[in-house]
Amino acid sequence: MLKNIWEWTWVLLIFGFAALFGNWFGLDVLPWEAIPGMLVLIVVSVAGLALEKALPWNMPAVGYIGILAIVISLPFFPGSEYVVAWTEKISILALATPILAYAGISIGSNWADFRKLGFRSLIVAVAVFLGTFIGSALIAEVILRWQGII
Amino acid sequence: MEKKDMKSVIKDWRLHAIVFILVCITEAIGQFSISVGPGVILLLPMLYAFFLGLGLYFTPLISEKNSKNAEPLIILGVTLLIAKIGVTIGPQIEAIIAAGPALLLQELGNLGTIFLALPLAVLLGFKRESIGMTHSVAREPNVGLIVNKFGFDSPEGRGVMAIYIFGTVFGAVFLGLISGLLATTTPLHPLAFAMASGVGSGSMMAAASGSLVAAFPTMENQIVAFAGASNLLSLSTGLYMSIFIGLPLTEKLYSLMMNRKTKKQAAVKEGRNPNA
Repeated sequence: MLKNIWEWTWVLLIFGFAALFGNWFGLDVLPWEAIPGMLVLIVVSVAGLALEKALPWNMPAVGYIGILAIVISLPFFPGSEYVVAWTEKISILALATPILAYAGISIGSNWADFRKLGFRSLIVAVAVFLGTFIGSALIAEVILRWQGII
Repeated sequence: MEKKDMKSVIKDWRLHAIVFILVCITEAIGQFSISVGPGVILLLPMLYAFFLGLGLYFTPLISEKNSKNAEPLIILGVTLLIAKIGVTIGPQIEAIIAAGPALLLQELGNLGTIFLALPLAVLLGFKRESIGMTHSVAREPNVGLIVNKFGFDSPEGRGVMAIYIFGTVFGAVFLGLISGLLATTTPLHPLAFAMASGVGSGSMMAAASGSLVAAFPTMENQIVAFAGASNLLSLSTGLYMSIFIGLPLTEKLYSLMMNRKTKKQAAVKEGRNPNA
């Protein structure tokens, strides 16, 4: 377990380093200003990964990480103003760029499979977006009418 | 997490250096937007990074081993993204609670994707890819969930990434186009579409609600408020909706459909009436 925590931390530090520079070039936030926020995010992620391993429930690490992050940033949580102020320095786009860079490199090795998705996956994608949009609108219409708002 | 030799992943400095350089270059280039009708196609650094990374795989700079080592970095990088979304939600908790029952219930509409897209995906011949593709709109938390549960290099992972890439490139312009179109051509109220605009992505919400405002300028404030609150809700509940309802439901429906399909094929093989 300790070995795992050590390895996760290392990987996240490497990742975070790239993200801090992306945050600098893309969003003009100096890396040292964003370091405290990045450390908070890394600690939350490692804690969530450890919880997934330690706890018996069948909940993925991202579930624990989401709950932990929400709780520590709630207004009445002690010190949450620091958590919010620090993490605000890191744009979500700056985190997404290195993920997609690694993803591009990784997808290369199964590009043949990926290409098979091709045109058919475009049709499915359109149906996915239409389904969500129309589904939500239909339910909202019914409830809003029932509440007398529209 | 899969059992991979993490030490060799950490020590793959060539991979990390290349990603570092890619991130610096693409972020320095910055974003561009191309207007198409009522929406815009957003060209973001993350998209250049993805396609440049993919291109590099076919050069001697990246070996098969580097490429395999990239996978754990994606899985762990996504956990940082989820942490960031979490700390964005915390401070807004009161606004979320005040937003009310209509907002909460319309989130169930996001399951519409399963009923509309899953049968279509299976019909088009997708196997387990269809689970990743249709369990949600494949935004970051959903990608995180699928990658976390099945791995990035799995049929489900490829499926969710296909929709994710589509959404990243065309999501905003697509929703921008259809929201204006549907709101002006169907009898549903613009405010219902405003709530539907909050699919859990800022740019998609902005494009979809933007064309609603253009079509119904007198309702501007209400449209923006409803769309924003719904987007916050999608961001905060979307992941848990997928964990507890969306993904199990998709898997259940998928196995039901596959059973039917194999039964029918067996019946045809034996020369019986498949619909008997």
